[in-house]
Amino acid sequence: MRRNELFTAGRLRLIAAAVVVVNGFFPAVWILLTSVKPELELVRKPITYLPHEFTLDNYVQVFRQQPLGLYLANSVIVASASTVVTLLVSACAAYAIARLRLRHRDLILSAIIASSTFPLVTLLVPIFQTMRAVGLLNTYPALILPYVVLSLPVCTLVLVSFFQSIPRDLENAAMIDGATRFGAMWRIVVPLAAPGVFTAGILAFVNSWDEFLLALSLNSAARMRTLPVGIALYQGEFTFPWHIIAAALVVAIVPIAVLIALFQERVVGGLTTGGMKG
Amino acid sequence: MSSPAVDLRASRPRLRLVDRIADPSERVLALLLLAPAALFLGLIVVYPIARLVYNSFFDLRMSGGQSAPFVAFENYALALTDKIFWNALWNTLLITIITVIGALLVGLGLALLANLPYRIRWPVRLALLLPWAMPLAFAGLIFAWFFNTDYGVINDWVTRLGFAPLQWLLQPGTAFAAVCIAIIWKSSSFIGLILLAGLQMIPRSLYEAAEVDGATRFQQFREVTLPLLVPSIVVALIFRTITALQTFDIPYTMTKGGPAHATETLAMLIHSTTIDYGDIGYGSTLAVLMFIVSMAVTAVYLRRLQRD
Repeated sequence: MRRNELFTAGRLRLIAAAVVVVNGFFPAVWILLTSVKPELELVRKPITYLPHEFTLDNYVQVFRQQPLGLYLANSVIVASASTVVTLLVSACAAYAIARLRLRHRDLILSAIIASSTFPLVTLLVPIFQTMRAVGLLNTYPALILPYVVLSLPVCTLVLVSFFQSIPRDLENAAMIDGATRFGAMWRIVVPLAAPGVFTAGILAFVNSWDEFLLALSLNSAARMRTLPVGIALYQGEFTFPWHIIAAALVVAIVPIAVLIALFQERVVGGLTTGGMKG
Repeated sequence: MSSPAVDLRASRPRLRLVDRIADPSERVLALLLLAPAALFLGLIVVYPIARLVYNSFFDLRMSGGQSAPFVAFENYALALTDKIFWNALWNTLLITIITVIGALLVGLGLALLANLPYRIRWPVRLALLLPWAMPLAFAGLIFAWFFNTDYGVINDWVTRLGFAPLQWLLQPGTAFAAVCIAIIWKSSSFIGLILLAGLQMIPRSLYEAAEVDGATRFQQFREVTLPLLVPSIVVALIFRTITALQTFDIPYTMTKGGPAHATETLAMLIHSTTIDYGDIGYGSTLAVLMFIVSMAVTAVYLRRLQRD
């Protein structure tokens, strides 16, 4: 009886939810707490959990003494540009695969997906060489171009399944009414596939926002660093300015956290389409 | 009378050409639409792989240009006797095995917990999405702070439990463990999401039938849930394995591969060889070897997948 009172179904559910939530949020919450503690409180023992003294100095410092604003701008430019290009390229490919008379349809889709299994690191060396040869090191295109390929497979997959879900009759009706195939595609299919395009866009954006290896290798000049590279290189040779790193991390995580919080269901849908079919 | 006819004949082909551009045949349109994707994949995947293999037969330490000496298989011979290469390969495989199994178990646990009938779903869903969306490099930095010897939260717990604090990232064994824990945390949520989607596709009626037959909760899990979850598990395994073989960001930001190469992966070795030391020939050789390893693993998985 007592056992039953303590562990009612509702309470067990609450505990289960707490486990998942703590596991997912704890690192982000901890870094948030770290970021509002003064530098001296971070090097005191025993460590404090909630800040004894609340401060926003670290945030001021991170923008004044470190070029965090610049890294933020670089990340936004690279991630946005690569997302737009990825969407254009993958929407075209997905439309052809999902809709048009095409020989070896499955083979083409498989080839695009297979390219995502090639390790990026192995492509790093020749991409670095090529970018150096054509003078693109430490420029935005150096990252934008490879990032398109990074997200092309998953975006194509998501868009193929969205295009396939739009009834063909709508398009045929438009073409009977005199629209060209292009017209039917842009006026009927693309608007109807907007949710899919949006989902694919979020996935592409997150991929680019998070990428580290290429950004570190191709754009390491201080003025061209993206957020992950810029923040990771804050570490001095022997000292880790944790108060600065924590504030910078919060600034860098917030945009992506807001994005996925607003569009949770779309993101989950997109990820599982990509996962289930791949 | 004759001049309009001539005009018509002259204008018809032109019209047709315009027509053909405005409304090409399906097959031509399909190829046109696939062209940009093909161009990108050709330039950023196919060409680099070809160039990589070509590189690996040259000594590109100094020039990187035309006059680089051809050294045949010398780079490969060097790699096979290079202790640092074998160490990095071993670390990579070990990280792959540990984190694939670890992330699968943790991910399965998270998916089962997240699949309970909650009234409010978003906190749990967001808790699975946030680690996925967070850059790997950030997860590495945060866990480096967790495992900090003097001021880290982990050592605070260790001392509260009555043990002596550990020098986590400063000793080979514990540094390796810490890196694996960070990778498992970061990757288990994506696996959780995939498995959760798999769980939600299992019809409720199967559980009801099992209950009627008097199956316990555990029996239901073993006889209904697990077998029906296998396709999702396989997908999650393939994804995780491919990414685990490329592990770079987390050890780079947590330990820089140290102490004494204890957490150095193949990807890190390739990166430092080419970018930091500028040895493009040898770096390419290492990359070709890594490419072979990862294609072999993928092939094994795909074979399994086809057999099932």
